[in-house]
Amino acid sequence: MNFELKDKQKLVRSSVRKFSEEVLAPVAPIIDRDAEFSWDTAKELSKINAWGIQLPEKYGGADLDSISYSITIEEISRICASTGLTVTVHNSVGAYPIYKWGSEEQKEKFLPDLASGNKITGFTWTEPNAGSDASGIECLAVEDGDDFVLNGSKIFVTNGAIASVLVVGTRFKKENGEEGMTALLVEKDMEGYEIGTKEDKLGMRGNPTTSLYFNNVRVPKENVLGKISDGFKIAMQTLDVGRIGIAAQALGIAQAAYEHAVEYSKGRIQFRKPISNFQGVSFKLAEMATNIDAARLLVYRAAYLKDNRERFTKESAMCKYYASKIARKATQEALQVHGGYGYMKDLPVERYYRDVKVTEIYEGTSEIMKLIIAQQILRGNI
Amino acid sequence: MVKIFVLIKQVPDTHNLQINRASGTIIREGIENVINQDDFHALEFGLNLKEKYGGEVTALTMGPPQAESALRECLAMGVDKAIHVCDPIFAYSDTLQTTLVLKEVFDKIKDYDLIITGTKTSDSSTGQVPYQLSEALDIPLLTDIFSLDIKKNIVACHRNFGHESQNVEAELPVLLRVGRHYNEPRHISLLGIKNAFEAEIEMTDHACLNSPDCIDGNMKSPTRVTKTEKPEEMKRKKEFLKGSTSEKVQKLIEIMQGHSIEKIWIGKQHL
Repeated sequence: MNFELKDKQKLVRSSVRKFSEEVLAPVAPIIDRDAEFSWDTAKELSKINAWGIQLPEKYGGADLDSISYSITIEEISRICASTGLTVTVHNSVGAYPIYKWGSEEQKEKFLPDLASGNKITGFTWTEPNAGSDASGIECLAVEDGDDFVLNGSKIFVTNGAIASVLVVGTRFKKENGEEGMTALLVEKDMEGYEIGTKEDKLGMRGNPTTSLYFNNVRVPKENVLGKISDGFKIAMQTLDVGRIGIAAQALGIAQAAYEHAVEYSKGRIQFRKPISNFQGVSFKLAEMATNIDAARLLVYRAAYLKDNRERFTKESAMCKYYASKIARKATQEALQVHGGYGYMKDLPVERYYRDVKVTEIYEGTSEIMKLIIAQQILRGNI
Repeated sequence: MVKIFVLIKQVPDTHNLQINRASGTIIREGIENVINQDDFHALEFGLNLKEKYGGEVTALTMGPPQAESALRECLAMGVDKAIHVCDPIFAYSDTLQTTLVLKEVFDKIKDYDLIITGTKTSDSSTGQVPYQLSEALDIPLLTDIFSLDIKKNIVACHRNFGHESQNVEAELPVLLRVGRHYNEPRHISLLGIKNAFEAEIEMTDHACLNSPDCIDGNMKSPTRVTKTEKPEEMKRKKEFLKGSTSEKVQKLIEIMQGHSIEKIWIGKQHL
């Protein structure tokens, strides 16, 4: 067993860290304050291939392994969690299912633009009446000649305002009476595709989350992803992958909060000592460091299993559940270490505190993660 | 096709540098090794020239086996080839021995147009190798370059000379020493990293050299480092200025001038 990263993965970390500190750090507080996605930043991310981290080189991707992927998301999120979100959703639940289940025509049509960042993608399943119960979606795609006619709405769509194409979960009805769930590639330019207003959120404000309305959108059958009735399976397997990215994102936020807490506590003098000399503070740092280390090992293990084509449903749910939980706690404690200064917008710690919460909610809540872990255990995957 | 060689060195990350007081040497264990910061600017300069004139950029380093990671990073940044000059007998080379090895290496390469270096390394700060190597190879050395044009076999460059800017021409091959203020090294891409770890690195050892007899880093280096120590930390001083604002400003200027600060700008006014 080897706990050391490979040289390639180390170089991914140092390079993405340098990029994030130089390019993303100045932008992060601004896109949070203004709740604006930055296309200029998107172009900078294109230069380092952040939009096609694991796609094959022939589509313009960087063809990296999943641990390198996790490190990339971790390092971006350490500086700007909103950007980490845009990037991980685009890569792991947008581009990945197209690569994994798409036809060669679909791959050639979509992947080069996605890998280069010319176009942004994402994944949408959640509806007003279907969240944790993913089987309850109501968006309806009815067969009509060479098309499906799509009606319904989606909510809380990450990248909603900026995506050119989305993997959309729908319920289909064929002329021969067959019914089921299917994943459709729905494009922004299709008639009847309407983007709702941008949500005003607690955190992750640099990512434009919207609702979407489909009003008799004619989606050609060539935009069906995988087999028509495989929608639910595609969604579940996609989310297994996506959760590694969300866990990596939580990890990056936790790391940032922890580093700030360490630095601040060494410099803040109270009772004639740096506050890090008091166990009330230093024990918080010790807990953060231990939790972050444990979460990192869980994240990299899930990524490792994915790369080695082993089952990782349980491990991906575990890493997401644990990383988001300890990250929430780390940001809370980091803010506490900073006292009143931490509560002010002058320092980034309050942003981490706001950004982190949603990692316990999206791509499956912590409760659903426990449900998945328990199901896996009780099915014999102990 | 311009054949460009950029000399780089792996150095300990100076952010966390410690010195062993007993031996007077830098503690290298547990310290991360990085590419010398100046060398990134040399690499960027070389890559820019390639993008403008075509050709090929090779990163070259002389260093222990772990210097491979520095060459991988150069490949990730976009250089076409990497050469690792590595042999236990090269260890402990001073700048002169380093120069002699590099001369041997370039004598074997033969076909080179531009050799580019940074200004100095952060671990020893001598800055001697570019000067010595240009002498050893008997090629012109152009220092403090910030832009350059190549026409046939003539390079025309702008260089900084104190407060002047000079235009200088020289015939290829030329050794260029570039400063760190004239370009912004590019960020490394993920695809670059992937490709870097699939590339071959050319190895050159002692046996590859034409006349290896003059080379022995430990025995034949004339320089001996007898001691390395941290300078005493300057204690910060503070002084409260009294009087009206303009009196305080005047006093502040006098204090700054007393510290040999040549130019003081207030707003757009040069004092």
